[in-house]
Amino acid sequence: MKLELGFIEIKDIQFSNECKVENGTLFVDAEAVKTFVYEDDDVKACVKSASFDIARPGESVRITPVKDVIEPRVKVEGPGGEFPGVIAKVDTVGSGRTHVLRGMAIVTAGKIVGFQEGIIDMTGPGAEYTPFSKLLNLVMVCEPVEGVHQHEYEHAVRIAGLRAATFVGELGRSVTPDEVKSFETYGIKEGIEKFPELPRVAYVHMLQSQGLLHDTYVYGVDAKRSLTTILYPTETMDGAIISGNCVSACDKNTTYHHQNNPVVADLFEQHGKTLNYVCNIITNENVYLADKQRSSDWSAKLCRLLDLDGVIVSQEGFGNPDTDLIMNTKKIEQMGVKTTIITDEYAGQDGKSQSLADADPLADAVVTGGNANEVIVLPPMEKVIGTLDYVDKIAGGHAGSLRPDGSIEAELQVITGATNEMGFNRLSAR
Amino acid sequence: MVKEIERAGIPVVHMCTVTPISMTVGANRIVPTIAIPHPLGNPALPAEEEYALRRKLVSRALEALTTEVQDQTIFEL
Repeated sequence: MKLELGFIEIKDIQFSNECKVENGTLFVDAEAVKTFVYEDDDVKACVKSASFDIARPGESVRITPVKDVIEPRVKVEGPGGEFPGVIAKVDTVGSGRTHVLRGMAIVTAGKIVGFQEGIIDMTGPGAEYTPFSKLLNLVMVCEPVEGVHQHEYEHAVRIAGLRAATFVGELGRSVTPDEVKSFETYGIKEGIEKFPELPRVAYVHMLQSQGLLHDTYVYGVDAKRSLTTILYPTETMDGAIISGNCVSACDKNTTYHHQNNPVVADLFEQHGKTLNYVCNIITNENVYLADKQRSSDWSAKLCRLLDLDGVIVSQEGFGNPDTDLIMNTKKIEQMGVKTTIITDEYAGQDGKSQSLADADPLADAVVTGGNANEVIVLPPMEKVIGTLDYVDKIAGGHAGSLRPDGSIEAELQVITGATNEMGFNRLSAR
Repeated sequence: MVKEIERAGIPVVHMCTVTPISMTVGANRIVPTIAIPHPLGNPALPAEEEYALRRKLVSRALEALTTEVQDQTIFEL
């Protein structure tokens, strides 16, 4: 399956009374976006208000509580549309051509959905920890209708964000991209014939699916209701997987992470050179032990069936998903397939506690996204998009996290994407 | 907590859903439970059936507590 991505570089966003992309500037009429967002009945029923703001890299701006980050894209050739099974009708995506508004994102924020939304600082020390400080963010601040249930509101804000991204992405349909890149993986036999000498490598992509606002959707299917299965990597790049997550901000995978998965990008970079990138294996992180056993059995079985030599496993969230991670790793290794895992750590504020809740000697190649318990002080920002009302309550915060001067002392957990377990991070240690 | 209480000489049954973690941390008597968000019940069941399930879980735990063990043991329901 072959997908062409046409990247349109966005260098500025301006509110305007028309909507277009011209010479790298996105002109957007907030009212028009809002009208499109509100065409959905669930949004209408649950979201009292939606207002828009722009946050640019380097500005003294704090966005919080952040729910999701989404890159606007549009399908210009080939089957399907953006976010199949959720916004577009169900159809297999991952082939043809898609235009990407690169350098910007839609951010959904506002009154809290769960208790695990995050913070994006556009400047200062916090900005170093989140990749989204380097993007031009069109922020949609939502407010719930009074009395609406949390899970209904989560659904509505999720859809609102995806609809806003779809509307903005559409503006790139007839723009000539600044760069076009193509990505292709092959059928099993075809791949072996093309690269007979190269090791066969796949990506085991673990999806957060614990329920109670910790969910991921694949072609619109709640991942907790699916068995481990296979995707072409380009399907992920084309919006097949979306986030419905209110898990800790530092290591939840936003929709933007799924669209721009760095493991997929790096495997494609090596594809046909040092390895044969076979496919993505998606598996869930459920709350029943039998589910954990079943899903990890299937991960291992698929690795063997595909005659893989090695896999990269990425996790989402922490705590009991550490067991899914270790079960996957152990069983895949026992099939004779090498593994490297990407995770993060909850090693306490002093870094001295056990990093993962579960462990096994077979998990002997580990990449860490960092210690989420590390304490950071974020200086006050001149402007807040959203509200500071929940800073003390979000995971990683504590009573008194928000200081009278507007600065925040909290664990890295509070920063969106800070210890991302796909490795979508900016900082490293020696 | 399980380990510290046992260190003080009081036997403990760890009732938990993710038994591999219980094994990793070193609990000796383990009773598997229903699900992480609701370990000791199942909201999907009618009230009488759930009561029976809860009773069964606690009975199994009491049984485990009074059973001599040599190694880490999982007491399946």
